[in-house]
Amino acid sequence: MMDLLPLVQNETLKIWKKKRFYVILLILLVLIPLFTYAQMRVSMTNAENFKDWRNQVQQEITEKQNLLANDRMPEEWKKYDRIQVQQLQYYLDNDVNPNSPDAAGFTRMFMASSVAMFFPLLILALSSDLVSGERTGGTIKMLLTRPVRRWKILMSKLIALTMYVSLAIITTGAVCYLISGLVFGYGGWTMPVFTGFVVNGAAIDTSGVHPVPQWKYIIMQSGLIWISCMTIAILSLMVSVLVRSTAASIVTMMAAVISGSILAGMTSSWQAAKYLFSVNIDLTDYLEGTPPPIAGMDILFSLSVLGIWSLAALIVSFAVFTKQDILN
Amino acid sequence: MRPSSKLWRIVGTAALASTLLLAVGFAMAMRELLVVTPLAQQTGTAPAQQIETGGGFQNAEEIRVTALGDSLTKGTGDNSGKGYVKTVLELLREETGKPVHQINNLAVAGLTAKELDDMLSRDDSLEYPIKQANLILLTIGGNDLFRPVLEARESGEAGDINLETIEAGIPAAAESLRSVVERIRAINPDATLVYTSLYNPFYDIPDLREGSAAVQKWNGAAYEIIGSDELAVVVPIMDLFQQRSADYMSSDHFHPNQQGYERIAQRIAQALT
Repeated sequence: MMDLLPLVQNETLKIWKKKRFYVILLILLVLIPLFTYAQMRVSMTNAENFKDWRNQVQQEITEKQNLLANDRMPEEWKKYDRIQVQQLQYYLDNDVNPNSPDAAGFTRMFMASSVAMFFPLLILALSSDLVSGERTGGTIKMLLTRPVRRWKILMSKLIALTMYVSLAIITTGAVCYLISGLVFGYGGWTMPVFTGFVVNGAAIDTSGVHPVPQWKYIIMQSGLIWISCMTIAILSLMVSVLVRSTAASIVTMMAAVISGSILAGMTSSWQAAKYLFSVNIDLTDYLEGTPPPIAGMDILFSLSVLGIWSLAALIVSFAVFTKQDILN
Repeated sequence: MRPSSKLWRIVGTAALASTLLLAVGFAMAMRELLVVTPLAQQTGTAPAQQIETGGGFQNAEEIRVTALGDSLTKGTGDNSGKGYVKTVLELLREETGKPVHQINNLAVAGLTAKELDDMLSRDDSLEYPIKQANLILLTIGGNDLFRPVLEARESGEAGDINLETIEAGIPAAAESLRSVVERIRAINPDATLVYTSLYNPFYDIPDLREGSAAVQKWNGAAYEIIGSDELAVVVPIMDLFQQRSADYMSSDHFHPNQQGYERIAQRIAQALT
């Protein structure tokens, strides 16, 4: 165990020196002000048109009711709107603003909507060349000729990757809060957020709904995001072991993630799609009470699917990495 | 200390702390989803709201409008998207010189009187915008009367629809309208309520021209229900869609077009100023 720590240290510093984390930071510093500005414009328009948020939420409900009255809209889409109407109604009945206009609320919403695409992208920036990069650069021979067992090398890479995944999530939250706070103010930690909506087919069961302070909600949400991101990280580590070129490794993973979110949008018609990891990536949905893309999915199901995929990926990665011949 | 070792300490500690925090977050989320939610009971009643009531319309310093009803209030058929509601707002602004605000437009296309009644009894949140208003605009009933005709027309047997079919729905729909008005009045007794009555959308179909009599019967029922209310107005618009109905109807032969909505709005503004 003791000889693992220097290896982890080495890997951590290597990732840092490759300036990958700066790239992530830079992306955040460019994108988040953009989204903050967009959100600010939305708030300004709303403030112009509505006396207060209650009228705004009521109007949102009425608009969804109008959509629901539309015969041309397919029944599967109506399901989402119907459930959203009930959720908004619940917020309104309890006099709680579902879109609290402060930095904490913005951070919560930004992070929730980033699970499907944005976070996987950030993670891939860190992980995709972890092993394949050593091959392309030729450093893999140096690494493997050291008197250290191969599984320890891969393990140290995995640990370093885990550390950076955590850092990336926390940094995203922090940057989001700091930047959006300039516009919306740094409050909102104690705002209540409702959780516990249980989706039962087309209806929603509100008997278990209860308020959670926003700070707690954000921490819980981040924990779920972390699990999603770790699955992506582990899978991409496997791809990086299997594929020689870094570009191919990024493309493979991105294709998997994107196809997942497209499949999740197409929903219902193909039941077996629920066993794909990328359909299960949006764990925060369960906290929000958004209906899952395919009926019959719940938090335990999604966690099992992600767990099995990760486990399989780990087995493949370690098996291949410890056995594989390094040529040229 | 070597710089790389210092960097390792900083990055390592921050990463470890982040990981711990996220792991705790995950544990909390699992507890929330698997333990707390199943156990949780309803969180009690909503806190009492301080709602500023709209007061009367005529002496108000600021006119606050809440509209509710069916597709007419929604503005279906108007390519400009204003419907009659937005035009009424503009006209009132010009005529009175007071600030005019729309609180909410709660109209849902396709709503019948019964459905509106159900909505008002079910959704407590509708009380808030209705209470804030000092002017309430309402249209309802068209779907009660004409939905059978529309459905028949879609299946291509418009000829079989007669006056009795249209009239048959009137008593029940009128009861719902009475209930709707009572509910609105229970929430807000001070606002001016404008009910825009129906026109005959099928005037251009000779077989259905006599439907006007049924429409008039409905409008009569509306007068009976609303007429006794001092702060309520029934605005007739039937005549607007008879002589040159094609010019004021949208291409669906059911809803008014932009010009049609403008004329409705002028009627309402005339009744109010």
